[in-house]
Amino acid sequence: MAEHCLIADYHAALAAGLPAELADEVIDGLIEADAKYRQQGLDAENAARAAITEFGEPSLVVEEFTRVSPAKRIARRLMVTGPVVGLCWGAALIDARAWQWPVPGLIRLALGAVLAASVIVLVIAVLARRYRRVHRASMVACIGLAALDALAVTAALVGAPSFGWLLGLAACVSTARLTFVARSFRRVLACN
Amino acid sequence: MHAEQLKGHLDALLLAALEDGPRHGYAVMEALRESTGGRLALPTGTIYPALHRLEAAGLIAGSWSVVTGRRRRCYTLTGAGELALSGRRAEWRDFAAVIGAALEGKPWPSTA
Repeated sequence: MAEHCLIADYHAALAAGLPAELADEVIDGLIEADAKYRQQGLDAENAARAAITEFGEPSLVVEEFTRVSPAKRIARRLMVTGPVVGLCWGAALIDARAWQWPVPGLIRLALGAVLAASVIVLVIAVLARRYRRVHRASMVACIGLAALDALAVTAALVGAPSFGWLLGLAACVSTARLTFVARSFRRVLACN
Repeated sequence: MHAEQLKGHLDALLLAALEDGPRHGYAVMEALRESTGGRLALPTGTIYPALHRLEAAGLIAGSWSVVTGRRRRCYTLTGAGELALSGRRAEWRDFAAVIGAALEGKPWPSTA
């Protein structure tokens, strides 16, 4: 049975906003619904319309997939845990008088820029309503935060004159986030 | 019964629809429609994201197959899903009994 043009349009709308696998899965169901309405006696046009009415607008489906997407979930978790990690490092760096460490100004500036950029893309990932935008922003945030955590832990281990318990706590918190980000990144990659 | 009223119950309904064996998304919706006498007013398209959420939580497992030339994703209940379903059923029975007793003006059965 040929796919009605209304269903083809619906498929195109889904495919524009979602990965092919997700769009294909929904379209399989939509074609089932279309076949059911045809069996009930509706003509091709009305069967396709009835099936689409039953499924809801493509934008609604895309929005729901975006809301429950792994990328969105990971971004929310990073957003919630971010202040805790920041607080740990803030306290540790003040305690260790980090401004006296022999770190070039350019590197300090670059670290600040990566932190600011990561926070911005994280906010985008949490707030965005488009699947692909959430996905991209979440991936960039994962990379940025992983780089920051790795650099911060390395700097603390190599550059700190003394390694107090606050620095140890901050390094542990960052290592935990690094592990979470590494595992999450694989999951986010698999969803595109 | 609208989507708003189903909030908090949709997961249990989807798990229950998979209790009898593997089903694809549309078959899950048809099973729900049949078991509720067609009284669920839920856009079928929103079932799919909910199934993906349950899969991410490890309560169901999805796998692809090819049926009449189309790719189809079917879901089965996992062990964790079975446990979650029985837990949700027990919670629902308690909830319905307590609210039912309050609304009908009957005393809550004493266990003493």
